[in-house]
Amino acid sequence: MERFCQGDAQAFDALFQRYARPVQGYLARLTGSPATAEDLAQLTFLSLVRARGRYQAGARVRPWLYAIATNAARDHARRHRRPEDLTPEGELPLTAVADTPEPRDAGLERAVQRALAQLPEGQRLPILMHRFEGMGFAEIAESLGLTESAVKVRAHRGYARLRELLAPLQQETSR
Amino acid sequence: MTPECERVLDCLDGPLPPDLASHAAGCADCRALLEGFHVLAPPAALPPPVPINEAKLEQTRRQSLTELAAHPLPTPWWKEVAVLLAAYLGVGAVGLFVVGRHGMMLNSASPWVVALVALLIIVGVGGGAMVALAPRQRTWPFTLVAVGALVVALAQLSGRSGVQVRPFLAGTLGCMGAEVALSVVPLSLALVLLCRSAFQPVRALAAGLSSAGVSLLVLHVHCPDGSAGHLMLGHVLPWFVLAGVAVFIRSRLPSRTYAP
Repeated sequence: MERFCQGDAQAFDALFQRYARPVQGYLARLTGSPATAEDLAQLTFLSLVRARGRYQAGARVRPWLYAIATNAARDHARRHRRPEDLTPEGELPLTAVADTPEPRDAGLERAVQRALAQLPEGQRLPILMHRFEGMGFAEIAESLGLTESAVKVRAHRGYARLRELLAPLQQETSR
Repeated sequence: MTPECERVLDCLDGPLPPDLASHAAGCADCRALLEGFHVLAPPAALPPPVPINEAKLEQTRRQSLTELAAHPLPTPWWKEVAVLLAAYLGVGAVGLFVVGRHGMMLNSASPWVVALVALLIIVGVGGGAMVALAPRQRTWPFTLVAVGALVVALAQLSGRSGVQVRPFLAGTLGCMGAEVALSVVPLSLALVLLCRSAFQPVRALAAGLSSAGVSLLVLHVHCPDGSAGHLMLGHVLPWFVLAGVAVFIRSRLPSRTYAP
């Protein structure tokens, strides 16, 4: 990261090779749209280059990069929220959208996506980063600008809520 | 959440040690947590691998490398703070010179009080610029910025001279106009610099308070009117309104980067 901050293209390439796909996957899960995720990943890496003067030497790269990606997704959601995008109940649509290919078990997949989408952002982000990106709570805390204990409380509540939301599904699969 | 619950959370990825397993068996919160975690665990429940558009990825890489080649050396964040503070200094000096053609320091309160309140405003202006532009892992708490602003406002009101020199309406409108006019340049610059990081309302609020604080300082030392009503409506209210305007405008401006 230090070499990249000094303008080393090879160092950037190494970062890109390591993080481009995971970041795009995270953004796809966050937005529910691979096409949007591609655009946001582009903005994320452009931001990484443009804002490297804000990187604090010695800080971990992954939380910083995921913080940028999360901010890009938030900004996208804020700017593209139109009344016609809302559900009849006035809520944001589920994150799973038409350009996501149908998985083998589409019903289960949709139920999980729906349950995740029902969580408030404060619980959804820690769970996405923890469960799907394999990040530790300290890294998630750095990424979201929170304390580690705050992240743990949110993840704890989020997982408990997911269990409630997916309880009927669990009962079905256990039959 | 007990310390044991926290340890359970830390051990989610693997099998729980016996002491934690027995805790989890008897703790409703931990059972809910474990069930919620494991309900995502079956491979079929995981979202499908995201199809990667290699062409788009390569385009992203090339664009980023082009940007890197165009700007091989980064601009450190502290330079942006320094530029903003230099602009504040320039605008403050020019403003004091322009509005103070017929006397620069007309505040008739005790010189110590005037100096103390001025110092408080300067600290607020500098601190606001730092909160607005300095990178920080944790988000600044809104209450910190709000309390800082209230302290400055209360200090100004409590350090008033009580003197009423000009007619109330004319004096108030004059100060309002001067405060807005003097804030245009610092506020614009602060907004440009704010767009170099992700939008955070607290940062925008701090930037607004900080940049409008320059004109607040000029008016504080220059304005001969020291009645509570005049200070409230002519000095403090426009300061808060300008800070609100900064948040509103920043929320509508595109971000050049999404860095925290």
